[in-house]
Amino acid sequence: MTELLKIEWLKLKNYIAFKVMAIFFIIGVFAINYIVYTVNKNIVNNVPGAGLISFSPYNFENTWQSTSYATGFILLLPSLLLMMLLTNEYTFKTHRQNIIDGLSRQQFISVKIMMALIFALVATVLVFITALIFGFGSGTSFSLNGIVYVGYFFLKALSYNLIAILFSVLIKRTGFATGVFFIYLGAENIISQLLNVLSIKWKADNGADLGNLGDYLPMNAADGLLAFPDNPFKSMSKHIMPSDYTWVVLALALGYLVLFYFWATKKFVHSDL
Amino acid sequence: MAVLTVNNLSKNYKSVKALQDVSFSVPEKTVFGILGPNGSGKTTLLGIVMDVLKASGGTYSWMGEEGNAAQRKKIGTLLETPNFYHYLSAEANLKIAAKIKGRGEADIDKVLHIVNLYQRKDSKFSTYSLGMKQRLAIAAALLGDPDILVFDEPTNGLDPAGIAEIRELIKELNRKGKTIIMASHILDEVEKVCTHVAIIQKGVLKMVGSVKEVMAHSGGDAVTTVLIEVSSANDEQLIKILQQMNGVLDIHLVDNLLQVTCSENITSAQVNKFCFDNGIVLNKLNEKRKSLETRFLEITGTKSEK
Repeated sequence: MTELLKIEWLKLKNYIAFKVMAIFFIIGVFAINYIVYTVNKNIVNNVPGAGLISFSPYNFENTWQSTSYATGFILLLPSLLLMMLLTNEYTFKTHRQNIIDGLSRQQFISVKIMMALIFALVATVLVFITALIFGFGSGTSFSLNGIVYVGYFFLKALSYNLIAILFSVLIKRTGFATGVFFIYLGAENIISQLLNVLSIKWKADNGADLGNLGDYLPMNAADGLLAFPDNPFKSMSKHIMPSDYTWVVLALALGYLVLFYFWATKKFVHSDL
Repeated sequence: MAVLTVNNLSKNYKSVKALQDVSFSVPEKTVFGILGPNGSGKTTLLGIVMDVLKASGGTYSWMGEEGNAAQRKKIGTLLETPNFYHYLSAEANLKIAAKIKGRGEADIDKVLHIVNLYQRKDSKFSTYSLGMKQRLAIAAALLGDPDILVFDEPTNGLDPAGIAEIRELIKELNRKGKTIIMASHILDEVEKVCTHVAIIQKGVLKMVGSVKEVMAHSGGDAVTTVLIEVSSANDEQLIKILQQMNGVLDIHLVDNLLQVTCSENITSAQVNKFCFDNGIVLNKLNEKRKSLETRFLEITGTKSEK
């Protein structure tokens, strides 16, 4: 695998889009959290009475969840880069040439999935560091409570990356694949919102509480694990919301990962290239 | 041992049968041409044995072993088009190919020199002309000095000098004991460089063997004939005389030359003597060598695929 990763590195290191995306992403992680941090601070400072409710998203404990949640919004960047890298191979027909030159089909797809894993890990490390910086910046004392959200962030990053791999393998053409990817994300989001509204209605009407059904869809399962930390206002409305079935959503998120993995692998290993 | 053996290889694309039960073996140290019109299944066949396409039926083996990735590392292949990373230089592209093949980078300069691309090794692939791309693909195939080379239309996009160079390179490689499998629709090319040939049409193997065998063998019902071109001062008289000669099958006047089709035991010397004995002096006499082109057209028919 090390040899295979070295080959991937040769493909990557002179790719301009990689450098641009990497810089945008690193700056982006800090920027988006800084924006959330500043906006919250302004509310606390300027809205009368807001300071009384001692809620700060970047205090320790909260910082793990807030950073993970906020960074989730720019997770499309690494997955789009992965998509470009893989669909490029189809465009250049280098996926064929790599096999001809002596990679097995399994090796080719495995190293792409490994790249998805590495991108997710790097993003997670960035989130960890950012959470630490903002946590200490808020002047609270260090705590690892709530670090599970960083783990959820990793799951979400991996889900985005693997679905990007799957779409690339299924669709092959760069423009078309990214287009379908965006449309799918949008469509799933809308369906998920509808299901969530239905969940509330069912709970109110006949007490059927199945959790937020929208969280059971592939991309929303990983999303559903991450939410902005509850502030006291939100907690008050909680009794009308469906229960959190965190473990179900977690199991589904893992299940979807396995599905993406096997689907992409099977497609690449068994079809004409 | 046969370098490559294919057994009853078939490939269907929905209702289209791209290959039907193709079987043959490529002997060691030959230049084996796979000849066929456009769309006859040459690239499909090579795609299957390089594992980028999945056969619908049949098997293949390299050096007696079922095809696998380790074997492909030891085969230099150019399939269909030069496939490289557009944003990388020639050298960077060859580094990737060398790494996949498990070879060091020592070969890279050497192969770039062979195809005359050394001066342009730092240019991006996307800036290359069609001919340069093709030469880079040949360079990549030569990495690691493999004993088996597979070239699909190797002279595609090359200028006449480039074509001659590549043909010379293929012959040279063969002299060094390499086995070369080469697909082409250019008859002249196959005739000039190949020792063996397989002719396929519409996915069906029509004939296979050494070039000599294929040229000599009269396929199916076709009667082997000799074509002799003659002319004299008085062609009308000549036609009358020749019609009386035994073994003359047909006479046509084409471009002021008489094309005389004879049975295969007739030689041009006999025709000359017969005419002279009958009082006609020929001012032109030419036995047309039967080219692979004639054989090819006899085997595949003269109409292009619609």
